[in-house]
Amino acid sequence: MIHNQTMIDQRPAPSNTLGPMAWLRANLFSSPLNTLFTLVGLYILYLLVVPTIQWAFINADWIGTTRADCSREGACWVFVNARFTQFIYGLYPRSEIWRANIVFGGFFTLIAWLAIPRLPLKRWVAVFALVGFPVVAYVLLHGGYFDLPRVPTHRWGGLMLTLLLASVGMIGALPIGIVLALGRRSNMPIVKSFCVIFIEFWRGVPLITVLFMASVMLPLFLPSGISVDRLVRALIGLTLFQSAYMAEVIRGGLQAIPKGQEEAAAALGMTYWKRMGLIVLPQALKMMIPGIVNTFISLFKDTTLVMIIGLFDLLGIVQAALSDSNWLGFSLEGYVFAAFVFWIFCFSMSRYSQYLERKLNTGHKR
Amino acid sequence: MTQAATNLSGTSMSKSTSDLMVEMRGVNKWYGDFHVLRDIDFEVKRGERIVICGPSGSGKSTLIRCINHLEEHQQGDIVVGGVPLTQDVKRIEQIRRSVGMVFQHFNLFPHLTVLENCCIAPMWVQKKPRREAEEQAMRYLERVRIAEQAKKYPGQLSGGQQQRVAIARSLCMHPDVMLFDEPTSALDPEMIKEVLDVMVELAEEGMTMLCVTHEMGFAKTVADRVIFMDQGQIIEENAPEPFFNNPQSERTQLFLSQILGH
Repeated sequence: MIHNQTMIDQRPAPSNTLGPMAWLRANLFSSPLNTLFTLVGLYILYLLVVPTIQWAFINADWIGTTRADCSREGACWVFVNARFTQFIYGLYPRSEIWRANIVFGGFFTLIAWLAIPRLPLKRWVAVFALVGFPVVAYVLLHGGYFDLPRVPTHRWGGLMLTLLLASVGMIGALPIGIVLALGRRSNMPIVKSFCVIFIEFWRGVPLITVLFMASVMLPLFLPSGISVDRLVRALIGLTLFQSAYMAEVIRGGLQAIPKGQEEAAAALGMTYWKRMGLIVLPQALKMMIPGIVNTFISLFKDTTLVMIIGLFDLLGIVQAALSDSNWLGFSLEGYVFAAFVFWIFCFSMSRYSQYLERKLNTGHKR
Repeated sequence: MTQAATNLSGTSMSKSTSDLMVEMRGVNKWYGDFHVLRDIDFEVKRGERIVICGPSGSGKSTLIRCINHLEEHQQGDIVVGGVPLTQDVKRIEQIRRSVGMVFQHFNLFPHLTVLENCCIAPMWVQKKPRREAEEQAMRYLERVRIAEQAKKYPGQLSGGQQQRVAIARSLCMHPDVMLFDEPTSALDPEMIKEVLDVMVELAEEGMTMLCVTHEMGFAKTVADRVIFMDQGQIIEENAPEPFFNNPQSERTQLFLSQILGH
């Protein structure tokens, strides 16, 4: 039995199923109840958004130097304005801020270079970012070389310190996490138990405890005369703490790679490190980008805890500024500013990870 | 080795020390308490094509996976190309470089293109320069008739195409012997032929092959010997013609009647 002798031409879809109006009708106004929810939702949104905009922009004071300039009922951004340098650089000496600016400039340039696909020499830039730049940044920020006056680390602070803690933590935690994850799956009992104990220890302890121990307890165990800089101690504690989390994220990725992948690599005569480095890890890390970035974001926000050992990161310096008697009562502005800066960085990381996932997707499962 | 020898197998001038490619003596293996391989004794001469068949769970795959130490045997001796297989990692890797393996599920590397799949081991294991590895890979990809897909990722290919790439990937290492672990079992019927054709060509060029398969047509065409395994033992071993026409053991007869009977 033949149904149709002629081929049916492609016809356009009915016009009431396409376009924004159709979308609105299907998703927001499909039934009386749905319409009611939509209207109530819109009203709540109106109640929330309008006052916020009025407070933050329309009724806000922007220009000035003292609290006397804050006359209106909105936000007093004058406070943030007046303290901006401190929020960014902490107590870094004003005369030396150019050094921090060079480091900032280099930092963002390198990140942009690595993130923008069209720019060439990625490999060399990455090597410089990991090896050369930290040395340059240390020499510039810390000084003591080339006639640069020394700026001890307790004067570093603000966003600069936050970024420093976060980037050293990320760059340190990822490789340590990879090694721990591989070690935890190892057949060698000593390696395996070391990694298990390490991971479970750091995951079982609150970060605040780690930081306290690093700043208070560690000097007690070190022989007298040897002292490790407080910032370095915080960095080590933060990195080891996050590497334990990173290890578990990566282990999840390693377990998701079919066993056949490693077998195929082994059958080609690859050594353990080549099997891992060329075949298993590239796939596992790619699969785990969301988890890795999630850990990075939580690390970024955890850096605020260094406040309790007397380091003034962005949030710490904002809080310190709030207790200034000239500026009492502007805590809302201070916290909103800090939250906004944190949000910018965390949101950028999140977007970049989504882009990376799309870019690295080679349309395969197996 | 000169690159003029572009036959599929690439074994033209191999270092022949002994005529025995693979030798197994009294090999036993257990998975926990389960005795998977029982007193396996057999040998493969250079250039021989051997088909191993038997019901599922009879230890066929385990047997060939012991040859390149993807599985560890607990008793007995295995010698591959004159090199005794021991626990020594360096020696295991040396043996694996001379033994190619094709898997049931292809196991191509999904994050690499077809071309990169074929280059990665020559470049990183044999330290070939990239250009040389790529030229060689293209030659083998042409031989398995898939060169036009070289820039694609495995996920974009059909099962039959993937398996042909897997064969090319193995050949790029110039193996002395090829192990096939049910290479067509995961394929749709219309793709089996394209893979078998490549394997037949390979056999005709003199590659030493050990093939676990249920393709009895393939066994009849190319095998020098057929080995029948059941419950971890080698039950019967014969040239294909007597094996199929006049099986000696009852279990072989039963097995053959089941797979050929309908």
